[in-house]
Amino acid sequence: MTHRERVLTTLRREPPDRVPVDIGGTLASTLNIHTYRRLMRHLGFGDDPPAAYLSRRSNSVLPDEQLLRHLDVDCRAVLLGSPDRHPEQELPDGTITDEWGVTWKHVGEGQHYINAGGPFYKDEPGPSAVEAFAWPDPLDSGRFRSLRSQAHTHQLAHDAALVLVLGTGPVHQLQFMRGYAAALEDMIANPAFVEAFLARYADFWVCMAEKALTDVADLIDVVMFGDDLGMQQGPVMSPALYRRMLKPTHARMVQTVKRFGKPVLLHSCGSMTALIPDLIEIGFDALHPIQVSAKDMDTGRLKKEFGRDLAFWGAIDTQRVLPRGTLAEVRAEVRQRIADLAPGGGYILGAVHNIQAEVPVENILAMVNAAREFGKY
Amino acid sequence: MDLEALKEAVVAGDVKGATLLTEVAIQAGHAPAAILNDALVPAMEIVGDKFRCNEVYVPEVLVAARAMKKSLALLKPLLTQSGVRPVATAVIGTVKGDLHDIGKNLVCMMLEGAGFEVVDLGADVTPEKFVQAAKDTEAKLLGISTLLTTTMLGMKDVVRALEQAKLRDQVKVMVGGAPVTQAFADEIGADAYGESAAVAVGKARELLGIR
Repeated sequence: MTHRERVLTTLRREPPDRVPVDIGGTLASTLNIHTYRRLMRHLGFGDDPPAAYLSRRSNSVLPDEQLLRHLDVDCRAVLLGSPDRHPEQELPDGTITDEWGVTWKHVGEGQHYINAGGPFYKDEPGPSAVEAFAWPDPLDSGRFRSLRSQAHTHQLAHDAALVLVLGTGPVHQLQFMRGYAAALEDMIANPAFVEAFLARYADFWVCMAEKALTDVADLIDVVMFGDDLGMQQGPVMSPALYRRMLKPTHARMVQTVKRFGKPVLLHSCGSMTALIPDLIEIGFDALHPIQVSAKDMDTGRLKKEFGRDLAFWGAIDTQRVLPRGTLAEVRAEVRQRIADLAPGGGYILGAVHNIQAEVPVENILAMVNAAREFGKY
Repeated sequence: MDLEALKEAVVAGDVKGATLLTEVAIQAGHAPAAILNDALVPAMEIVGDKFRCNEVYVPEVLVAARAMKKSLALLKPLLTQSGVRPVATAVIGTVKGDLHDIGKNLVCMMLEGAGFEVVDLGADVTPEKFVQAAKDTEAKLLGISTLLTTTMLGMKDVVRALEQAKLRDQVKVMVGGAPVTQAFADEIGADAYGESAAVAVGKARELLGIR
């Protein structure tokens, strides 16, 4: 099978020839820049290899094609470009600002950024604040200019499955612009504002997505976006609140992609089990990153309850096994997750989220090797 | 008036109702300590229990905590005036190198709602700052939070800094955050681990030997 066939077969929940492996194919399945450089040096791909950012704010990289071919990775990311108006800017004090008026800061070289300020951070914004905000242009040409050339480059180089990364979902964007806690509180205490924001954000996203897909749907295979709905101990909001506040917006986004005939991957960290039935209902085809160390995320149970309707992407533990596990523990983790999630197809293997700065190079290679060893159908 | 209505208002996250009922209770002559201990503290215990059981989630906890804080703000000057001391002082912060704070903030809210004096050091807190704050405030409890696997080991540095400052025996150390586990807490010499803010108050009381 080609890499593309392998991934698409898997996403259809049919058995491929072997379990596909993803490193660098989505906005949250790549490597921290320091880890990447160590891995490249370890493999003899240069002492000071250049690194292109996949996400500056996450200090994560677009892995070099040489690395991805060496590891025989099945997926490649196709990314929206920076908008011509209001590209991200790094300020002298080390903070970053973006087109949404959000300020990002970090506390360490190589560490990811966190939102520290935004246009709705002041108390009690209402629907009028949503209207008054200077919304970015969804059709800014900078976003789309390189999509076809990225896809062509990947195609010429390799028959990989191409993942069109369509950025941030509505909850995340609201959290960035309002503050994480305030956004969650607003869902109960200030629902009119949240509803106005979600509707307006959906308009933005749908317009942008339609343009992107019109331009490049013939060349890409999967579409993804990220919206964090889970924490360590459970979803961040009740299923009832999700259904009332967010589900219609997500449904609208999924339907937009489905009109172009592509499978949709949702990235959402944390304990997601309580929300999965709703995600399946609105048509998500796959879920990332399958945070196995979070509550109720036992992979055997997930496959049994949801495997018929949902594919799983990720699942190799990054909170303990990858950073601090022995080689044997990494191998055992891969073996277990494949045994749980891969039967009948429906599992793409990767680390739960980006591989962080403290993960030993040997453990990354052990993960990939074990995926080969145990991943045959 | 009995304090049941105030308790319910806090549980429901009714900020206006909680504020009004607190004012009424004060006017009606209820002792501030009674309003705290018979309404606010039980209200937040109920919220904590529901949070632990996934009956309520972060949004509901945040609005309840907001109602509690508004009520407490009215009570605080009166509590001080009448010589009522907090249960104990807790110094809380997110570990150096990490800016994430919502989990830590939830712990602060729950402890405050249980009558603790909470000194919130914010995020990206050095071991030295933790130790200094514990010294300055004569804190009995020190809580450390992190979301990032990359900065977890910094929690061990805080424990070591307390030892070096000869404060370790006076302060109980509680740790938590997404990547933290009981095994990790044991490894670094912490006194307690909590998997969520919902259990923070219970653990704190247990550590300090209070009800």
